[in-house]
Amino acid sequence: MKGARAGRRRLSRDERLAYMLLLPALGAVFVIVTIPFVLVIIQSISAEDGTLVGFRNYSRALANPLLYDAIRATGVYSLIVLPTEILLGLTFALLVHRTVRPQGLRAAIYVLAILPLVVPPVAIGVVGRLVYAPSYGVLNVILERIGFVHHEVNWLGDPTLAMLAVASVDIWQWTPFVYLVLFSGLQTVPRESVEAAQIDGADWWAQFRYIDLFYLRPLFLLIVFFRLADVLRVFDHVFILTGGGPGTTTQLLSLYMYRVEFKYFDSGQAAALAVLVLVSFSILYRLISRALPLERT
Amino acid sequence: MQRISRREFVKRTAFAGAMLTSIPALIEACTSGSNTTSKTTKLTIAAVQGAEDGPLKKVAPMYQSQTGITMEVVEFPYDQLFEKLVTTFQANGSSYDLCMMDDPWMPKFGTMGALQPLDSNFGFTRDSDIPSIVYDVGTWPPPHGPVPPSEQGKSKHLYGITIVGNVEMFMYRKDLASTAPASWNDVLANAQKFNKSNFYGYVIRGKATNPASSDSLPILWSFGGDIFDSSWKVVLDSTASIDAITFLTQTLKKYAEPGAENTDAADRDRLIAIGQAFQSTTWPAEVTGVVEAAGVSQVAGKMAYIPIPQGPGGKGLGMMGNWLLGIPKGSQNGQAAADFIKWLIKTENMKTYVQNGGIPTRTSLLNDPTLGQSNPYFPALAQSLAAQPNWRPRTDQWNAVETIYGTAVNQAVAGLKTPKDALTAAAEQIRTAMKQAGYPS
Repeated sequence: MKGARAGRRRLSRDERLAYMLLLPALGAVFVIVTIPFVLVIIQSISAEDGTLVGFRNYSRALANPLLYDAIRATGVYSLIVLPTEILLGLTFALLVHRTVRPQGLRAAIYVLAILPLVVPPVAIGVVGRLVYAPSYGVLNVILERIGFVHHEVNWLGDPTLAMLAVASVDIWQWTPFVYLVLFSGLQTVPRESVEAAQIDGADWWAQFRYIDLFYLRPLFLLIVFFRLADVLRVFDHVFILTGGGPGTTTQLLSLYMYRVEFKYFDSGQAAALAVLVLVSFSILYRLISRALPLERT
Repeated sequence: MQRISRREFVKRTAFAGAMLTSIPALIEACTSGSNTTSKTTKLTIAAVQGAEDGPLKKVAPMYQSQTGITMEVVEFPYDQLFEKLVTTFQANGSSYDLCMMDDPWMPKFGTMGALQPLDSNFGFTRDSDIPSIVYDVGTWPPPHGPVPPSEQGKSKHLYGITIVGNVEMFMYRKDLASTAPASWNDVLANAQKFNKSNFYGYVIRGKATNPASSDSLPILWSFGGDIFDSSWKVVLDSTASIDAITFLTQTLKKYAEPGAENTDAADRDRLIAIGQAFQSTTWPAEVTGVVEAAGVSQVAGKMAYIPIPQGPGGKGLGMMGNWLLGIPKGSQNGQAAADFIKWLIKTENMKTYVQNGGIPTRTSLLNDPTLGQSNPYFPALAQSLAAQPNWRPRTDQWNAVETIYGTAVNQAVAGLKTPKDALTAAAEQIRTAMKQAGYPS
């Protein structure tokens, strides 16, 4: 008893202060995250009248073929947008880092890169529709005028092209984010290391491969985390451009879950879907963080 | 002065605080009643943003100047209005005294018991100048057709009064064709005849879910098809239903605009208004908002409006899309809200409403030649209402059914599936959804 009392030492004044300072943040997390999450879990095992139904909502959610269409569409969308945004963002970042020297020009590029990020997704969707829409879309007009195509391209009606069209809007909006993150990462590369490598005769690829990439690796993990979370939330521009069509080709998980909740008003199944998505992506994040370690080694 | 302990001080302070904070609530509880008008100073209307609520916004200030009651119209886009109302009703909120409702929403709201009955609570009776179908669409449970299992045996009440008398109609270029198409075969013949490069014989509104559903249902019904039979059995995969959708998505589509699977009402109106298409189905708001709008349309005065053409069985069935005004159960100003509805549907006020772009339900106004001059579709609308147009199935599951059906039609328009495959799969999904909701399947 005495030993236990001795083991439970009194907190120091600084420790108590630290806990006190943490308390508002923990309280906010509890109210904003924990309570809704518990409510979602309860909803996922309840019927509409509140009676507990076990895992019935989960089995209904998993038995619906539209779920797998939505997963497939989200997977295809992610496979298009993530690599493209990372490659383009990296290319722009390296290009600006190595070729643009005037600080004023760098600042101008910085501002230009921020612009797409602050435009509301709904507005981007409307602009996207003006670009791709049949009969009055700007893209078809341009392509026909320069003689690239002779018939109108059905950008939003063909399943493959519709997916590329909605993905292109995402790429336009979010490549600047990747650029900004990687460009800031490149600023942390020590100049001495680069100069030493250059004296040793390293070409641009060797500089990138052995120096830049070393500093950028944790940022790739950050980008993948953020962008994957965003892909899960993509809604506005897809809703405006295609409404999930043709058929269910571009009905991503977020749009599907919206329909289950707000069209079918099946809140039990929607909650079950939300829990399933959360668990699946937590596992996916764990796998990604193992593949791309956060610490530089 | 008597000294009190610290504990007693805290106790007394807490009691006094609780009393003070509850006074406003007590006063509110004593003065409020669901149907009082004496204290009503403001009515809040939840409305759909667009052509449907424009005239309402214009006449509401007139009521305000006559009664002194402030009229606030809170607008939402179509989808958001439905979601907002459902969540408000679930919480029995009192944010809105009146709400605009699309008629397919009535089953959901009726089943939820979300509205105050207008007949028994506020003395609304039927007016012979307004077609009975208009009252029927605002009545729950539905006076005819199949009734949801959970609603059978409930007494019928009027919960909504139509303020936008929408019925889906048909429009064509009368400057190019001298006779109106009487049947869908005539529509097809005209589509073939007038279709040429950059001028489309027919416009399909085929965007997934609601647009494709609304565009195809009159054709489905006119061909003898349907989604449910009279006992809620799903018949979407019947021969008549498949024939109807095959006609729209294959036969008629040959003469339709490119990208029909992504065409919504705005795209259709644009094609018609710039003179690039011959014919299509239409809603009144599209006519006044775009097709006949001076300075916007190149075909104003060149279009004719008729009820939906007949199918192979000799029947043409239009689709109702009435917008109704109802009083949420949570409203604290029920009587004042009911007084506003009564004021709005009076003949002279409805005439002013029409002069401000409104779509009436009164037969006398629809047949008024003066009003007909600026609203060329009024005679067709009067005929459509008199012919007892169909309403969308009166089930609280309609939103789910429409999403499934509208996606299937879109798949067929896009050529992703044959009409038969698309409808067969949709029928199976609808059966599952309806069974889960307690309907016989």
